[in-house]
Amino acid sequence: MWSLEQPDNGHKNKSGTNRNSNSGNNRVLSSSSSSRSSPSSNTSILIPQTPRRRTMEEVWKDITLSTFHQERPITPLDHHIYHHHHHANSSPSFKGMILQDFLTGPLNRPLPVSQTVVEQLPLPPHPSPALPETALSLNSGLEFQYLGPDATNSHSNSSSSGHNASFISSAFSSVAVGPPSPTGLFSLCSKKRLQENPAIGVDRHHKRMIKNRESAARSRARKQAYTNELELEISNLKEENAKLKKQYEELRLAIGNSLPKRNPLRRSTTAPF
Amino acid sequence: MSRDPLILGHVVGDVLDPFARSVSLGVTYKNRLVINGSEFKPSAVVDKPLVQVGGDDLRIFYTLVMVDPDAPNPSDPTLREYLHWLVTDIPATTNASFGREIVCYECPRPASGIHRVVLVLLRQIGRETVFTPEMRHNFSTRRFAMEHYLVPVAATYYNCQREAGTGGRRFIRDDRC
Repeated sequence: MWSLEQPDNGHKNKSGTNRNSNSGNNRVLSSSSSSRSSPSSNTSILIPQTPRRRTMEEVWKDITLSTFHQERPITPLDHHIYHHHHHANSSPSFKGMILQDFLTGPLNRPLPVSQTVVEQLPLPPHPSPALPETALSLNSGLEFQYLGPDATNSHSNSSSSGHNASFISSAFSSVAVGPPSPTGLFSLCSKKRLQENPAIGVDRHHKRMIKNRESAARSRARKQAYTNELELEISNLKEENAKLKKQYEELRLAIGNSLPKRNPLRRSTTAPF
Repeated sequence: MSRDPLILGHVVGDVLDPFARSVSLGVTYKNRLVINGSEFKPSAVVDKPLVQVGGDDLRIFYTLVMVDPDAPNPSDPTLREYLHWLVTDIPATTNASFGREIVCYECPRPASGIHRVVLVLLRQIGRETVFTPEMRHNFSTRRFAMEHYLVPVAATYYNCQREAGTGGRRFIRDDRC
């Protein structure tokens, strides 16, 4: 089994990023697929098919999709895989699924048929480090929205939840949102998102993530600058205070020393003339 | 040193190049002194502040520039910098009311985000050497200083956000102030 893994590993490592997390994903996934005994449909994925050249992306995608059968995969890949699965397929098998079912975990999902996986050819190339983070933000954005009605302005990341919620609501403003229940909103959101072009969705989230990072960096810089300023002020004031105290003491001593004795020539009585 | 609040707040960098502080600058809005990085609401900065200039020679003149480098939005500062106030020919040891206000004071009213409002004191080479810029937006303090042979000697800044603001970025499209 390991011999089959070798070319795939090599492909993945060459593809390329230097991110340790990405290579970590590679290792986890390859180990999970290796633990599989080989049902016939799955080995057809691993063995390179001669009639058609398989790109590295396809191999990567096949392996990650096949792990849905086995164990809980790394969550960031879920959205990516489902986006691309849908993008190639005109009628995805999970269209009827609502987002809550999606979020309950991979084991409850309607499993895509492996043959359809082999045939399709979706994957627009884009840097793999983008995947975990953008998909993760997508996931967390939806969760924030779920918490939105219950926990508004109650914690420090209310601003992020606020803008995530408003982003999602503005994106789907054309969709009529009837009852304000979370369930209804979720099903509408999931249906709309699945029909959206996944490349644009990923880009938008990526951009927003970058902006969020910049905003967070500005916030940290702001806080740090103010704190430093206050510390400098404190040290300046302490210095000034010490100097003034010393001056006061010196002055007091100086005055004390030079305090004139009672004038011995002062008159005690006035003569009448 | 990187612990300088002007560097940490990116004032040096966005607005100015590194410089040496040589003159004291005290900016006071309604009896509250501006400390680098402190927060002022638009209602607190409606009127022009008292700007006390240090130094020791009355024959040296200074120009005061007040800019917002985060206009219209700190995450998208396309109008950097927005000129709020420009006073020139301020004699040393006096305050800004002794100078010539060539761009009148406009109170900062940020629509979105948390804006830095920077006040820079620049030394002039002589009197009446500074001319009015054409526009308030897309002002460049660096370029202005170069064109008029000005040298920065002091700077301070504060943060300002909408009156009802809770800070940070919003994706609400309307600009309610």
